[in-house]
Formats: sequence, structure tokens, C-alpha cells
Amino acid sequence: MEETVPDLRARLRAGIAAGLRTSLQILKITLPLYVAVDLLKRTPVIDVLGGIFAPAMGLFGLPGAAAFAFIAAFLLNLYAAIAILVPLHLDAFQVTQCGLMMGIAHNLVVEGGVLRSTGARGGFLTLCRIGISAAAGLALHAVHRLAA
Amino acid sequence: MTLEAVGIALLGAMKLAGKLVLIIVPLVTLFELLRHLPVFRRVGEGVDPLMRGIGLTREAALPLFTGIFLGIAYGAGILIRVAQERRLPSRELFLMGLFLATCHAVVEDTLIFVVIGGNGTVMLGVRLVMAVCLTALLARLWRAGRGTPGA
Repeated sequence: MEETVPDLRARLRAGIAAGLRTSLQILKITLPLYVAVDLLKRTPVIDVLGGIFAPAMGLFGLPGAAAFAFIAAFLLNLYAAIAILVPLHLDAFQVTQCGLMMGIAHNLVVEGGVLRSTGARGGFLTLCRIGISAAAGLALHAVHRLAA
Repeated sequence: MTLEAVGIALLGAMKLAGKLVLIIVPLVTLFELLRHLPVFRRVGEGVDPLMRGIGLTREAALPLFTGIFLGIAYGAGILIRVAQERRLPSRELFLMGLFLATCHAVVEDTLIFVVIGGNGTVMLGVRLVMAVCLTALLARLWRAGRGTPGA
């Protein structure tokens, strides 16, 4: 476990460098996705495809088009999901709902692999995440409807 | 599809990306600065009773807290190394995995959704409560020394 601790300057530099590297990755994902969704919104594509998912998304109080953000969250990461969500102009509850559900279940391929490498049951845990995410979403929607 | 529409889309995308970068760079820098503090390395001692409540021992504290704050993908290096070096039993690995599955990278995840208009208390609170309850429940159902659930 022992590793040499670099001095403060080196850590600061390493931290900023890591932050910028992460930012670049985020830019590469969010820019094209946001632009694509914002432009597609001017066509019927989003509405028609979103309509397919509307019944399922409705269970959580979300519009059908939010399904695209869920697909992006599951396969890629939360930044991809956010790039799709923002042009959809959801209300505060819907953003919270997405944040809760996607916070629990996202980046499933990569993170499932990491969990497996620790020796835990990665595949089963990934199924648990999707289940827990859905349960949390149903519960929050129920509470929101009662409060409204 | 006009050029204007493309311009508006690009502007919106840049705004969003800018907000995200403003969160990520300070956050990652802060993690890198704090990562080596002795407090973080000896985190196991103070949280012993809490850990026992969810069926975990002190050995699991470092990977657990790494996951909660850094996330599974970002904290992967530490998670994998510690889990292998300390030879955590499969029951503990699964309980830790279940906790982290529900509740990880809480700072970053919550902040980026707060930036686009979400309620941070609700998102963080529900995840934390669910993770603690589920892990504590499973720890009680699955006593040490018995088989693996889902096997």
C-alpha cells in the first residue's frame, strides 16, 4: 500500500492536468450529442422515436425522449446523458428524477468490469443497479404525485 | 435547418460544457490534493461502528470511501488493488459492491445534475438512504460463512 507522497506543487499540477484531461473527454462527448439533439428537436424525429418509449418513461414521470438520455447514461456516462437532457428542457422534478435514477445506474459496461475485477459479482451487481434505479424512480414519482 | 439553428445549438452546447468543466477541474484537483492526507488513509478507524452496521469491516473502509467519493470508474485503481491485496471475503466484496452500486461518485454526480436544475438534497439523500438500508438488510439476511446470493 505504501507509495511515496508527492509534494503539494506536484499534486496540484497532477490534479489540474487530470481535471483538464477529463474535461477534454467530456467536451468530446457533450458537444456533438447536445448539438445533434438540439437540431433533431426541430424535426419530428425526437417526438416520433420518443413516443415509442413514452409508456415506459411515463411510469417515472418522464417524457419518452428521456429514454435516449437513459441509453446514453447506461452505455456511456452521465455527461453524455446530460448533453441529451438539457436540450429537452425538462422541469426541475424531471431533472432530479433523471439525476437520481442515472446516478444509481450509469456507465454500466465499464463499472461492471471494475466491480468484477475486484472479485465481486459484477454482472449480478449491474442487474441490481438497474433494479434499484427503477425502484428509486418509481418511489420518487409516487412521492412527487402525492405532494403535488 | 438553418445556419442560425446550428449556431444556437453550438452556443448551448458550449455553455453546458463550460459549466461542466468549471465543476470538474476544481473537483479533480481537490481530490488529488486530499488523496494523500493521512486522514484519508486511516479512514477505517473512526467509522468502525458505521461499517459494522452494514456488514463491513475496517478493511473495506478505504475502497468503500474511495468509491463513494471518487466513483467506481475513477477510483478503479484503488478499488481493485485494495480488494486484491487485503483479500476481502466474497461476502464483504458483494456488500461493498451493493453499497457502491447504489451510491458512488456522489459529489460529482450530484453537482452536475444540480447545475442543470436538479434538487441535490433529494438525489443525494435517496441514494444514501437506499444504499445504507439495502446493504444493512442484506448483511442481516446473509450471515458470514454462508453461500453467495444470486450464485
